Amino acid sequence: MSAAAPECRQARLYIGADPHHLPADIAAHVEGCAACRRFREETLSLDGRVQAALELPLAQFRRAAVVRTRRFAMAASVALALLVAGGFWVFRPANALAGEVITHVEEEADSWNSRDTLPANQVDEIMRTAGAQFDSPYPVVYGYPCPFKGHRVAHLVVQTPRGLMTVMLIPHEAVRRRTEFARDGLSGVLLPAGQGSVALLTRDGAVTDAMADEIVSRVHW
Amino acid sequence: MNAASRGTTVAGAFTRLLEMLRPDLLRFAYWLARDRQVAEDVVQETLIRAWKSRDELKDPAAARPWLFTIVRREHARLFERKRLPTVDVDEVEALGDPALATDDAALLDLRRAILKLPDEYREPLVLQVLGGLSTSEIAGELKLTQAAVLTRLFRARNRLRTIYGLEPVEDVE
Repeated sequence: MSAAAPECRQARLYIGADPHHLPADIAAHVEGCAACRRFREETLSLDGRVQAALELPLAQFRRAAVVRTRRFAMAASVALALLVAGGFWVFRPANALAGEVITHVEEEADSWNSRDTLPANQVDEIMRTAGAQFDSPYPVVYGYPCPFKGHRVAHLVVQTPRGLMTVMLIPHEAVRRRTEFARDGLSGVLLPAGQGSVALLTRDGAVTDAMADEIVSRVHW
Repeated sequence: MNAASRGTTVAGAFTRLLEMLRPDLLRFAYWLARDRQVAEDVVQETLIRAWKSRDELKDPAAARPWLFTIVRREHARLFERKRLPTVDVDEVEALGDPALATDDAALLDLRRAILKLPDEYREPLVLQVLGGLSTSEIAGELKLTQAAVLTRLFRARNRLRTIYGLEPVEDVE
């Protein structure tokens, strides 16, 4: 780019420093200056790549243990014991993904014990980490961006009028059609959602079609 | 709910918060240290320190900058305590650090270019893009004026423009 006018240099300093948040006077200049507007568009585009570059895959890192309370350690032990004991489960779901969803939920048995609604910013953080958007029609009482089949997925528990329901948003696994499944007191359904899928599970009854449709309509990747 | 169970719930929520932010803490530590092993040690220390100081975090919305600050301090502490050698970025590259691995060649180039940025440019960029800190928060964190932070961020991006196939723009004073 050739030498710029002083006001353009000033604008480019701000754009280059923080393209997403410009002071009002700089934004006004950019609005009326084609060159600065183009510079901002380029910088925003670059920033998307920088964000992707900084978000390293973590497969190469060993897992740093998180300090846990005794209660959570105990819950983990119980979950592990359940897993070991579950080696002889009779029922094998036809759909492997459904089986992995159930196993994952059973490993995180503590997720069913939460009752307090999570703050919106915490849910937003989970969605950001898991690469999903979901405007839940029900209060979210548990949430975590869980490792699942090599990716992070949003694992939520929502409080519906019929009771607690697990919602797993799985952007990396497509399913072609609605698939119902049940095992070990959990019943659920896998649903196509764009290029991904959504798994819904309850402990006390089937997921209704209306609920499933409502939830899928609010999921975006 | 009695005090004991409320305490357990709060502790559980804090644990989940740490679990949720741990991946980005690890990434941030890596971009600071440019060494996986060091990054892992820094995050381990950070999680322990954060757990011990959890009462200091009054607003969960501030957890991210709070934890990033602890990562920075633990990173500095580790270097001070162990007198770790400075990482040679060419060596990192030559080793083809798997931490940078991606099928996207352009993205790999960008990661390497970020790795090669001088600390004074890389750190504010990572704090901003990965940590979500505002320029004034970065200024506070790095003990710089906001003008200095703007300049460093501008220069960081200006260096990366060429890697992204864009012409660099005139530097700022």
